[in-house]
Amino acid sequence: MQRDVGSLPLAPALRARLFTAGFQTVQELLETGPCGLSREIGISKEEALELLQVVRQECHGDVARTAAGSGASRKCTALELLEEEQAQGFIITFCSALDNILGGGVQLTKITEVCGAPGVGKTQLCMQLAVDVQIPECFGGVAGEAVFIDTEGSFIVDRVADIAAACVQHCHLIAEAHQEEDHLKALETFSVESILSHIYYFRCRDYIELLAQVYLLPDFLSEHSKVRLVVVDGIAFPFRHDFEDLSLRTRLLNGLAQQLIIIANDHKSAVVLTNQMTTRIGQSQSTLVPALGESWGHAATVRLIFHWDNSQRLATLYKSPSQKESTIPYHITSHGFRDVQPPAVTHSAEGAEMNPRKRPRREEEK
Amino acid sequence: MDWDQFDLNPKVIAALKKADIKSIKEILNLSGADLQRLMKLSSADIQCLLKTVSHMLRRNSMLTALQLYQDKDHLTSQNQKLSLGCSVLDNLLKGGIPLVGITEVAGESSAGKTQISLQLCLCVQYPYKYGGLESGAVYICTEDVFPSKRLQQVIDQQHKLRADVPAEVIQKIKFGNSIFVEHAADLDTFHNCITKRISLLLARGMVRLVVVDSIAALFRCEFGASDSVTKARYLQTFGAQLHSLSTRFRTPIVCINQVTDTVSDSEAAQCCCSVAGNRVSPALGITWANQLLMRLMVSRTPQPERPPGVMSHHTGSVRTLRVVFAPHLPPSFCYYTVKLEGVKGIK
Repeated sequence: MQRDVGSLPLAPALRARLFTAGFQTVQELLETGPCGLSREIGISKEEALELLQVVRQECHGDVARTAAGSGASRKCTALELLEEEQAQGFIITFCSALDNILGGGVQLTKITEVCGAPGVGKTQLCMQLAVDVQIPECFGGVAGEAVFIDTEGSFIVDRVADIAAACVQHCHLIAEAHQEEDHLKALETFSVESILSHIYYFRCRDYIELLAQVYLLPDFLSEHSKVRLVVVDGIAFPFRHDFEDLSLRTRLLNGLAQQLIIIANDHKSAVVLTNQMTTRIGQSQSTLVPALGESWGHAATVRLIFHWDNSQRLATLYKSPSQKESTIPYHITSHGFRDVQPPAVTHSAEGAEMNPRKRPRREEEK
Repeated sequence: MDWDQFDLNPKVIAALKKADIKSIKEILNLSGADLQRLMKLSSADIQCLLKTVSHMLRRNSMLTALQLYQDKDHLTSQNQKLSLGCSVLDNLLKGGIPLVGITEVAGESSAGKTQISLQLCLCVQYPYKYGGLESGAVYICTEDVFPSKRLQQVIDQQHKLRADVPAEVIQKIKFGNSIFVEHAADLDTFHNCITKRISLLLARGMVRLVVVDSIAALFRCEFGASDSVTKARYLQTFGAQLHSLSTRFRTPIVCINQVTDTVSDSEAAQCCCSVAGNRVSPALGITWANQLLMRLMVSRTPQPERPPGVMSHHTGSVRTLRVVFAPHLPPSFCYYTVKLEGVKGIK
């Protein structure tokens, strides 16, 4: 506050005027106010306002610097980072095989990308995560809320309600088995309505709306500090048409990725994106690769690719900084995203949905 | 764009006008650094500008999932669907065709695709409480002539198909008057049709169903193996335009697609057929499949598969309607026949 006027980053002419008028410290400037300043040194009111804005910014910067000690950025050791990461929760997917290959589940503060052909289960996983992020801590969840940004219109709320009901049911079963005080207490506020009320849904119809929404996300997340998951389903759809200039698209996608990384870190949330697949024509055959180009591949920290093998759905961990590449089978039932049941249990209702042709009567009986 | 109406610092507004920036899209297309250089403002001002402009575009756009779930208003509710006119088929689809998004009906020739779409053109004209949308339909033919004789047959038999609707309600609806038929045999005509003619009908509220019969025919002749990039671009543009029409006017778009033979396992995997050993897959590949909300496949059921109880009642051939993928439906199927009065499911 006692900073000398001469050290401020102002135009020389302005500084000269301040000296002539007799101002020496920043405190004096702030006390005078814009009207007084404009009168005393003969500048317009807008210029005086600007001057004070610069002064305030500099003071703010000084305060932050003294509070942090040496250097403006935070310093910490790798051990501290390791402890922080280990203490962080994961968002489970209810498919234990998938959770295992991810190292516990979808990690907070990281961007996870899910790619796959249409119908393989990307939106189902996103809906499952939007429910699972809300599981109370006593059941092993992170007790957070979810933001769901939908660009394709595939968020069908009845399906989310079914998934939420199955999750609540699952928690009730656990509570009954363990009979602990905090389990029962948590269950009082964990219901389908409460789960649905904590999923914040945004519908973006083109890439401009998506960009605008991501600019507004940091403020939204500051207001809703319990959000631990941001889903963008899908990131490819608005960017794959209408772009003659592909370099503009790459720049916008990179900017988007940077903003999402900042959001993930600052608000300790997981960011999950879904991407489409496109055909790459090779020399002798064509393969399916994730859309949006090679440079987009660097945006996500963790990349999962969902694909089919005959009639079995498979998930491959394609890119991860800490887990090895592996493939597991998964299953989508009326309850949501699940493991593949071992053969002995396929006579149950969940098994019937996987192979309708083998049991046509089951479908009609329902 | 009138920048004065925005809640911005006059200095920023002056800089916007000086830099000749005419729309929000231009602002968002530029990076923060570019904007600083262009408008000669500090980064704090630019951040404020971006937030204000984004807020202007996206205010009041948040809903919680609970609000969506509890919304019973037939104008906005997700529960509102377009019925197919038969309770068995509606049960398979949990209500009917969703109102926002592109639904595809794919299958071999004479499997019943056109019959289903004709039935939808009539169903859409019923009142909301009978599963309709109280509006007409646009039928875009890309190859064959519109089946007007069959349409007349089905109209005459509506009272038989829709026994759930009182006769006086059916009599009041002038079915033929509200079906608009367009012919578009090549890509440019089709493009013109969906960008100009159909948006006009939709904006006036005269139609709330668009049927494209068929989307595959447009691409059959014009593209060779080397034109796959151009073909993909057309597919994406059409898909995006149809999707945008569907979202703006809350109108279901039904596209009929043909099937091609699957040559290898990888192709079958690409089209995500959950039925092992399927010989056919929908045409137009993964580029088109990425645009769809829901994919249905119809086929003529081969003889031995027919469930035994069915043979005694139905002399016509039994067909299968299968849900291949949908965000809210499990892969499932049901049987149906095509009768004089239309398409009816078999329990």
